[in-house]
Amino acid sequence: MIIRGEDIIIRTIARVLVPFIQLYALYVIMHGHYSPGGGFQGGVILAASMVLLYITHGYSEVNRKFSVNIAALFSSIGVLIYSGIGFLCLILLGNYLDYSKLYKLLNVDPAHARSLGILGVEIGVAFAVMAVMFSIFFDISTGGISPEDEEEKD
Amino acid sequence: MEVTLLVQAADDAFRILENARGQAVDLLDTATKLTSDTRLMEEKKFQAVFVGAQKKKSALQNFVVTFLLLFAFWALLSGKFDTFHLSLGVICSFIVALIGHDLLFANLRVGDMRVIVKRFFAYLPWHLYQIVVANFQVAYLALSPKMPISPKIMRFKTKLESDISWVTLANSITLTPGTITIDIEEGEFVVHALSEKLADDLDTGEMEDRVAHVFMEADHIYIQDVLDVSRIFAEFR
Repeated sequence: MIIRGEDIIIRTIARVLVPFIQLYALYVIMHGHYSPGGGFQGGVILAASMVLLYITHGYSEVNRKFSVNIAALFSSIGVLIYSGIGFLCLILLGNYLDYSKLYKLLNVDPAHARSLGILGVEIGVAFAVMAVMFSIFFDISTGGISPEDEEEKD
Repeated sequence: MEVTLLVQAADDAFRILENARGQAVDLLDTATKLTSDTRLMEEKKFQAVFVGAQKKKSALQNFVVTFLLLFAFWALLSGKFDTFHLSLGVICSFIVALIGHDLLFANLRVGDMRVIVKRFFAYLPWHLYQIVVANFQVAYLALSPKMPISPKIMRFKTKLESDISWVTLANSITLTPGTITIDIEEGEFVVHALSEKLADDLDTGEMEDRVAHVFMEADHIYIQDVLDVSRIFAEFR
């Protein structure tokens, strides 16, 4: 388990930078269908911001904001969004992930519906990637034992 | 005749001077009283902040300021100003500000932001000049055949109080060529300096004073006093 670091310079700079890193990650996700980037890249940046906070501020600080249980929940929600949009297209008599069929639901022309569908899928990918990346890092750093269990053992 | 006139005039002059002196003393008295009042209020405000009465308000303020900053950052990145992208930006900034409103301004006193930003930008040109000067000094050390360096590690206790001002000072020292901040241990800076002269320049403490001025620490009350008194004098005039 990583405890709160002692170096005040690193801790303060990380504290100031984390919100901007997170917003940049969301920017990469939301503009994935216009410019380089997308769900995976944005999700990794988002996870990196959480990992930075975890390294510099320790377990307890991050656990308040984003615990491992929430990470597990988010990874499933991400997959649900992805496959949900895919199956929605199937239900609307298209192929799997054939976004243009979504225009009946969204009330826009098919081209615009494609753009919005891709955005939705990328948000799902970002959720899943972010949560899984964070929980991988968390599992490696703790050796798979969550600190609460350890406290109970003591 | 002329002598009596002269004496009378001198007498008048003395009386006027006496009056002026009395008025000035009164003025100073009221000024000091007012400043002590404001100082008392200031201390009370600090206490309130420390007790946590303003905690909720400051959290909201932090949230709003963080949100606005993040949204400006989003507009800068995105460059698309149609309704769809701007509303995405609002949602994203809102989420990030919700998660991290206690990160960006963790140790800053509320209400000081505008002054700090203004003073910080006023601090930058001085610091750039300092970097240029130190560049020449280090170039001289590196190019002269004798290479008159005397590397040393110096420690000094700082009078700064908050972590953000420590970090600003530490990074200012590191950015200046020839000196590097190694560590901050409980408010004690450990700095490596390349030569005696560079170490002496740092030891004068001008940089520390300027950083303290930016973040309104250590000499904050003093500056506030001067500002208050000047306002009172302007009113009397």
